[in-house]
Amino acid sequence: MSSPIAEQRFREIVPPLLDDAYSLAKWLCQNPTDAEDIVQDAALRALHALSTVSVDRPKPWFLAIVRNAAMTFMARNRRKTVAYVGDMADLDTLDLPEGNDAAPNPEQELIALQDGERLRKAIADLPSPFLETLVMRDMNGLSYREIAEATETPLGTVMSRLARARAMLAKTLRAEA
Amino acid sequence: MTDRDVNERLLRLNAALDGELDAMGSLEFEREMRDDPAIAAEYQRLTKLREAVRRHAPREAAPQALAERIAALMAPAPAASAPQAATAPTATVVPFRRRPWLDSRALAMAASLGVLGFAAGVGLTSLRTPAGSGDVAQHLVTDFARAEIAGQPFDVASSDRHTVKPWLANRTTVSGTIVDLAPEGFPLVGGRVTIVDRVPTPTLVYRHNEHVVAVTELPVDAKLARGTGGIETIDGYHVARWSDPNLAYVAVSDMDEKALSDFIEAFRRGGAPATEPAKP
Repeated sequence: MSSPIAEQRFREIVPPLLDDAYSLAKWLCQNPTDAEDIVQDAALRALHALSTVSVDRPKPWFLAIVRNAAMTFMARNRRKTVAYVGDMADLDTLDLPEGNDAAPNPEQELIALQDGERLRKAIADLPSPFLETLVMRDMNGLSYREIAEATETPLGTVMSRLARARAMLAKTLRAEA
Repeated sequence: MTDRDVNERLLRLNAALDGELDAMGSLEFEREMRDDPAIAAEYQRLTKLREAVRRHAPREAAPQALAERIAALMAPAPAASAPQAATAPTATVVPFRRRPWLDSRALAMAASLGVLGFAAGVGLTSLRTPAGSGDVAQHLVTDFARAEIAGQPFDVASSDRHTVKPWLANRTTVSGTIVDLAPEGFPLVGGRVTIVDRVPTPTLVYRHNEHVVAVTELPVDAKLARGTGGIETIDGYHVARWSDPNLAYVAVSDMDEKALSDFIEAFRRGGAPATEPAKP
């Protein structure tokens, strides 16, 4: 049973962020029905939390809950194994050979960018630390600091993940072009 | 150029793209772009990529069903206090629906009256059995404040008294009077069940502009409602009590006294012709 105060805070915070929450959850789990379950679970967690905490920055706060709910959900239900195993630090060293060598083919890349289906597929294929960073930045519009807060990740890591996510996207699109 | 430089450059490109450089950083970056066409070209590519991402993978609207599920998380369970709730076939029960005027009302009240702390004591208040009329009024004021803050002043939302009446009749032991006061400027918005002295009792909710009045109908022999018809103030709300041969009434409202007097007059006047006769 939630308190009136929690419900009041909940009403101010959660409904305005529902689209953001749903979009994030859907990108992370890549299934609309699961995304609804995740957001509902996150909302329930938020409602409970709000009887004891007040929130300064609602958006990163609630999206962090959505993200964690998604991770719990995936750990519990995912038939597909997560795309990477082991030391996350490997993923965060910026290693972008294509920046220098193999002069990109800008025309091919431009053409590829017109193809929404392929772009979405390329985004969906990003390993989840990159995916969540990209989604929080470009779909949810969080600042770097807010992403760092929501993902409990150092700012520098957020920056390198985002740079790398975009570089990986560009590379995929070029490769397939 | 070392790897480190390459990395730094790429991070700065992205930060520039995302508007995350401070003024000095931006200045420096603009200078670099001017001096180095490769950086400018890369910035162009990144910009196009981000535009494409935003165009083809925009933020999506949450499905309506999800919004409703979320809203329902907060709905208190009126059925729990209404023994026959499960058997009611006809009424449209709206667990909770956002109504901007109610939300803003609740917020304004919370801010101006500090009702929040008061509402936090609801659990405590409702444990106490009302001993006299003052306590009943206090209890109803608490109930009113709680419903307002919850944004849900009714368990059944309907402006049609023929919907509200059977809904309430199925849940309470008082067969209420429901008056159509829309012509007088007090449209019915719904009804709810209020527990008074452990008895489920019908409460009608009428609206007047941004304000709400809740009329609770009680058996006339109840010890509570010997009212004078005058208006008193409890915790910042106006409370009026009156009775007719069948029922006693307690109205709680955030309207001003004048509007509440008008409402009561209209209710008492309208009561006789417009209502179905209450069971004795």
